[in-house]
Amino acid sequence: MMGGLQNPRQLAAQVLNFGLILSTAFMVSKLPPGSHAPATFAFQSVFSTGMHYNKNNPANNSCFFPPKQMWKGLSVISDSPSPIVVVLSGSMEPAFQRGDLLFLWNRNVMAETDVGEVVVYNVKDKDIPIVHRVVRKFGEGEHAKLLTKGDNNAADDTELYARGQDYLERKDIIGSVFAYIPFVGYVTIMLSEHPWLKTVMLGIMGLLVVLQRE
Amino acid sequence: MYNSLTRIQNVFGFFTTVAFVVAAFIAASDFAYDRTPSAHIKTTNVQVVKGRPHYYSTKKEEYAIMKFSMDADLSSLFTWNTKQVFVYVTAEWTSPSKSSASAAAANQTNSAVIWDSIITAPSSDHLANIGPATLKKLRKSAAGKAVDPKRGLLSLKNQRPKYQITHPTGRIAETTDVRLRIHYNVQPWVGFLTWSQTERDFGRWLRMKDGLSRAFTLPAVKKKDEGKKAKA
Repeated sequence: MMGGLQNPRQLAAQVLNFGLILSTAFMVSKLPPGSHAPATFAFQSVFSTGMHYNKNNPANNSCFFPPKQMWKGLSVISDSPSPIVVVLSGSMEPAFQRGDLLFLWNRNVMAETDVGEVVVYNVKDKDIPIVHRVVRKFGEGEHAKLLTKGDNNAADDTELYARGQDYLERKDIIGSVFAYIPFVGYVTIMLSEHPWLKTVMLGIMGLLVVLQRE
Repeated sequence: MYNSLTRIQNVFGFFTTVAFVVAAFIAASDFAYDRTPSAHIKTTNVQVVKGRPHYYSTKKEEYAIMKFSMDADLSSLFTWNTKQVFVYVTAEWTSPSKSSASAAAANQTNSAVIWDSIITAPSSDHLANIGPATLKKLRKSAAGKAVDPKRGLLSLKNQRPKYQITHPTGRIAETTDVRLRIHYNVQPWVGFLTWSQTERDFGRWLRMKDGLSRAFTLPAVKKKDEGKKAKA
């Protein structure tokens, strides 16, 4: 891979690819008891320039794949709208902390989503993805009633659900966690909490494009 | 060619590559360790009481309180890549489905966690949500050890359940064929999350030996027991 890393445009593209992969991994809020739901972040559009830039550069054989295709591919394979998510808060501690990266799987090949699985779900009419463990399941099939709870929370999630919603159904779940990488997602959190970093990155990128001679 | 940008780029690229390869090896090493979990569980005292889902609710529901004793040997789950083991006990039962829409499924299976526990590895003790005194004690129990398989040895006598369970219908008394089952979920420092296998072995990982209680029947509602609190 070192051979492909000979000019700064590719460095920039690589860094942006990295940022893009992590930024499209949208944030999962794990609500600690008593806290309000933090907003989710969407800044794919900011990085779309980097994406097209990379697409026009097929010679780039760095260790990161073109992110858009990779993202779509992962999404199709796992059948999840967001196959990689970043953890935002600590209700699943000590297992998952802020900035950890979770990989989701949303197909029921061998068995149904069952008690004990750690799932990411969206509350009805709210766009706040939450990662918690399924602790109760009544019935089978897509209308089975599921109740979730954070390992680090004292109470279950009934309070977090929408008004009149006592249980989740399978369609509320966007994936079960099957793999885990620590820390890596912190880049995403940094970028979203300190928006000037994005400006700086784009600035450097633009400067390099201007200064670079082919 | 050899300007500072290129050097930074090479160092960063090399660092990420090495980090991911090392992480992949660590994750793969899980499969090289034997797992031989075993457990026994039995109920000691089962009651059903009436209660409310929360303080301000007027709805009355039946809650099952299942005390149990268990002995589990999960020590083989603790390796250098184990961050924590999440142990949980579920109650499983079937209930006749009432709606005609799901007539195909004559019986609906239900399962609910009645007790759980996070067992941290010594390397992740500092992350546990416990007070300073407990943390000190926990640290002392594994002083000088990076991996402490002894933590996988559980022995509970007449343990109160953490969660008192009910069914969405609010009726659970006199349910027949209820069983308790012990499960675990190993959460690694990096790699795959794994759960207890109940039916088949997977490579060097053997399925949970036993870990299922005898079937029992929940008693009728206990009269005059308002003191019990509703679900936790």
